[in-house]
Amino acid sequence: MNRDNRVRTTRSGRANSARDAEDQRPVVTVKSLVKRYGRREAVNDVSLCIQEGEIFGIIGPNGAGKTTTVECISGLRTPDSGNIDVCGLSPQHDRDRISEFVGVQLQESALPPRLRVGEALQLFASFYSHPLDPHEVLDSLGIKHIERVPFKNLSGGQKQRVSIALALVGNPKIAILDELTTGLDPEARRETWALIERMRGRGVTVILVTHFMDEAETLCDRVALIDKARLRALDTPEALAARAGGSRVRFVPSRPVDDSILYAVDGVQEVERKNRYVTVTGTGDMAASLIDALAAVGVHVSELEARHGSLDDAFIRLTHDKASTGSTGSTGSKKVKA
Amino acid sequence: MKASLQGVFGHRSRVQLAALLKVQAKLSLREPYALGPGIGIPAVLLFVFGFISKYTTGNVGGSGLTVIDLWIPTLMVISFIAIAISLPNTLVRDREIGWLRRLSTTPVHPSRLLGAQLILDFVLAAVAIVILIVGGMVIFGAPLTVGIPFFILSLVLAIAEIFSLGLVVAALVPTQTVASAVGGVLFFALLFLSGLWVQPVQVGAPLRDIMWYSPSGAAVRAILYSAFNRTPPMTSLLALVGYTLVFAFVAVRYFRWE
Repeated sequence: MNRDNRVRTTRSGRANSARDAEDQRPVVTVKSLVKRYGRREAVNDVSLCIQEGEIFGIIGPNGAGKTTTVECISGLRTPDSGNIDVCGLSPQHDRDRISEFVGVQLQESALPPRLRVGEALQLFASFYSHPLDPHEVLDSLGIKHIERVPFKNLSGGQKQRVSIALALVGNPKIAILDELTTGLDPEARRETWALIERMRGRGVTVILVTHFMDEAETLCDRVALIDKARLRALDTPEALAARAGGSRVRFVPSRPVDDSILYAVDGVQEVERKNRYVTVTGTGDMAASLIDALAAVGVHVSELEARHGSLDDAFIRLTHDKASTGSTGSTGSKKVKA
Repeated sequence: MKASLQGVFGHRSRVQLAALLKVQAKLSLREPYALGPGIGIPAVLLFVFGFISKYTTGNVGGSGLTVIDLWIPTLMVISFIAIAISLPNTLVRDREIGWLRRLSTTPVHPSRLLGAQLILDFVLAAVAIVILIVGGMVIFGAPLTVGIPFFILSLVLAIAEIFSLGLVVAALVPTQTVASAVGGVLFFALLFLSGLWVQPVQVGAPLRDIMWYSPSGAAVRAILYSAFNRTPPMTSLLALVGYTLVFAFVAVRYFRWE
């Protein structure tokens, strides 16, 4: 199966489910969150609001404060100041009630080596008042066959899926997944992504911590970028990427075209030529308008390639404010990473 | 208060505890750190001392007791020590790998897992006691004339004291590797003080007193007296209570779930 196709399917799936902001209600509200470890500020004045049913990404470099933020949301840590509201409850004061409907997958958390997958799931199911059937959870994650396998004998991908299964078996309204695909091979990553999509399909709000930009781009409805303990940006991945330099269209015209025809198209900012290729950068969805404009003067295009500015670019720009300001040259750097 | 009582004794709470007991029991069978030494060592030593007892005449160190009489309480305490020393092993491992932290994101606090493990360890200690009493009396003819109330009191105090010491190790050591190292040293020190190699009645004054008032020696002494229907010396019982309080305090004060 072509992996690129699968990714694109999920992407367009999200586009179709573009939501009306008015249907949504916030399930998690964080206001001016501050958390220090000793003198080091782990999180400084982070505010964000997560809507019911969305996949909300928290991205940022290592040590930026992503994990601390979700640990405060799940009640594992107590903020130094600020306010967190999870479905009308405080994670710190109502931890017992919140743990009923918030499923957490922790970064680097293992099971006792000889505990079998099925036993762990049964155990966790017994903890909640309205759990899902452990067998069905394992089945839906495609790991029913490892039910009797001890944790120590699982592969990395299987361990991650068991970890997700444990976060889901309590039938949570909110699932917090921290560095879910770190250390997985490309195949396992794609499968895990599909899984998260299915979780959202069941109405679970997903908070996804990651430092993989492609993961955030593929899955997330909105992304918060945290760097050096502060919230740098919060928007859809597309909007963030657009900030980093918009889109780029590259093609080979059937005969030479004059720049003025291209500049006349809405959103076009720059035209470059290299060998037979014409590369147009600008904002918005220019590809269709470009083709129309060229067709109007009798020019066909071939080898058409359209790319949006990537979250990678946005990430680099926003986390190195000074270094890359004004540079849009890296727009085309996005690749589907393996 | 009412809510928390319901939390502890409610129906769901019992379901959760039952599930934890089941899982911990299965793990204890698969990784028999407690089961093997806790039952195995005293069972093997029972035979060793039983046969020594058969071929040596009684009245060890002028105590009026035979080898098997004297060593049965020691073997009981050795069983408790072996179980207690295994506790930090798995508990520290579960903390180290993030399992306890993982549990703390669920409605069940990891202290419940510790509770389940302690219940199982207590049952294991009870099994060892029964094996030693039955084996000692039936096979080797130890003339135990147990004074039930003090015997049970002594055993309960001894188990509480030695398990608390295991929890102190679990609270203070950072990793499973350190837990094994510390546990190993502590194991042999406690074994010596319990009289495995030489009984207090066989040694001179300073060492005998050290043994009598050490954590494992005090436990042996209290059990020994009550096993022969005597009132245990108050000093032994007080020592057990004192040690239990200190160990429990340190364990609670320094224990970390993550």
